[in-house]
Amino acid sequence: MSAIQVRNLHKTFQTKRKAAGFGGSLRALWKPDLHPVEAVREISFQMEQGELLGFIGPNGAGKSTTIKILTGILHPTGGEASVLGFVPWQERQKLAYQIGTVFGQRPQLWYHLPAVDTFYLFGKIYEMEEKALRQRIGYLSEAFEIEHLLETPVRKLSLGQRMRCEVAASLLHKPRLLLLDEPSIGLDVVAKQRIRETIRRMNEEEGVGVLLTSHDAGDIEALCKRVIIINHGEIIYQDKVSALKRRYLTSKQVDVRYSNALEPDFAIPGVEMLKVGTFGAKLRFDVRETPVERVMAALASAGSLVDVTVSDPSLEEVIRTIYES
Amino acid sequence: MRVELTRPAAKYWAILRTQLQNSFAYPLDLLARSVTILLFLWVFVNLWRVTYGAMGSQRIAGLSLADTMWYLLMAEAVMLSKRDLSKDISDQVKDGSVAYLLNKPFNFILYHFAAGLGDSLLVFATNLLLGGALVWWLVGPPPGVLGWAAAVLAALLALLLDFCISALIGLAAFIAEEVSAFRWIYQKFLLVLGGLLIPLDFFPEWLQNVSRALPFAWIVYGPARLFVDPSAARLADVLLHQMGWLVGTGLAVALFYRWVVGQLTINGG
Repeated sequence: MSAIQVRNLHKTFQTKRKAAGFGGSLRALWKPDLHPVEAVREISFQMEQGELLGFIGPNGAGKSTTIKILTGILHPTGGEASVLGFVPWQERQKLAYQIGTVFGQRPQLWYHLPAVDTFYLFGKIYEMEEKALRQRIGYLSEAFEIEHLLETPVRKLSLGQRMRCEVAASLLHKPRLLLLDEPSIGLDVVAKQRIRETIRRMNEEEGVGVLLTSHDAGDIEALCKRVIIINHGEIIYQDKVSALKRRYLTSKQVDVRYSNALEPDFAIPGVEMLKVGTFGAKLRFDVRETPVERVMAALASAGSLVDVTVSDPSLEEVIRTIYES
Repeated sequence: MRVELTRPAAKYWAILRTQLQNSFAYPLDLLARSVTILLFLWVFVNLWRVTYGAMGSQRIAGLSLADTMWYLLMAEAVMLSKRDLSKDISDQVKDGSVAYLLNKPFNFILYHFAAGLGDSLLVFATNLLLGGALVWWLVGPPPGVLGWAAAVLAALLALLLDFCISALIGLAAFIAEEVSAFRWIYQKFLLVLGGLLIPLDFFPEWLQNVSRALPFAWIVYGPARLFVDPSAARLADVLLHQMGWLVGTGLAVALFYRWVVGQLTINGG
């Protein structure tokens, strides 16, 4: 059985527009200027149990709206959805026992209390047995490395520490599906990495499915096997992350260093020379037009090589290419 | 892992307890909230001493200065301890945190009731204790045990009635977002027609009748007046009015919630 099945899901909001100034406010009072905004347009997709699925797109693309429909918080304007066999907006409370959610920009932990107090409260809310709850807190504390943070008021934690506690809180009741809405927003590189590693560990050890929205392509690259790209409320791409890279990963960037000085006019036909220095160069080429071996041979013949780094374009660049096309 | 027999009551009790812990997180803030009642009562006692002196009478509309002050203590204790639920809900809709409350396995309204009660009971008890000590020192001993029992019972129902009206205003935020105008009007009704500013007994008869026909009097005036006159007839009158309004507003909350939850728009996606 699929964890999530979505067919022709649609959500339209009515937003008010108002001209600037006091006059505009008065006119809006008398005659509100309502405009429909299609946040999600007829999207369809499927997610398997235990899958790690990335849901990416720029700000305002409709990612969060989709997640909120899938958790039952928002009612769609049209279409169908089934999450773990439940229609979310009709069976929200039953579904709540089976899913965990993190909305990266908003805290669910009680701000003035230590995280452990919220953990015990959630234990009661999810109707867990006392002993099982204690064991679960112990397990998650170790997995998320938050043992030393549990008794500190949440307001005193750093953002990275708080996010680890937030994700741990969402896993307390052993959900079958975890919906993460921008879990790494505002985090530094190290904190992002720790969160990603722990989410992957939970997926491997407990089989929890993860639907992850992010506008940080690094999250998807590090965590997900499959990706859905959404823009202006529409799905513009859905496939494996590796297929996405193959299809749009047509350029290579090479950083090269030499022990001898390079010719100042050093160039290779069919290659874009991004930077040429005395002892090194940075270049980019399209593998469909210029074979890799030809470039490597030209580089080797230019002098005595010390170091070569070949890198793919980042997923951000890939997404930009899709948007542009 | 999961208990087969669900214990819904336990989760709301846990919410109430956690809110109490949260209120204790800042003891100075809690104390400062109670200092407000001392300030109000100090102003009131001076105001009413002058009024009683100017009238040259021991009683106005059957109430002595001591009765009026104990009435005002109970009225202010209820008013200052009730949680501003409509603001809470409106803020949650505006900042999007309502999303976390709607996707947990509890009833959104009962969650707010449990959290609000945890906070209100603590502040109500502190207000009664500190304010009572001041009023005792200023005008003499409080009413008897019967007055306390009747007033505390009516005060609990009053907090429940206020919860229902505030919930109706707060839920309007699901469609209107900003509900501060409705809150302001409600507070002013409580102030004047609820009997918070002066006991309703001091009003002309027609205005007393208007006030009695509205729910506001049964949130402030009812428990406060029972405190100084705990007769069986008055107790029955207050409780019947409170329960009538509770049934009406409670039903309205349930129906309104079912409708507005489908209309929600959450800021930030």
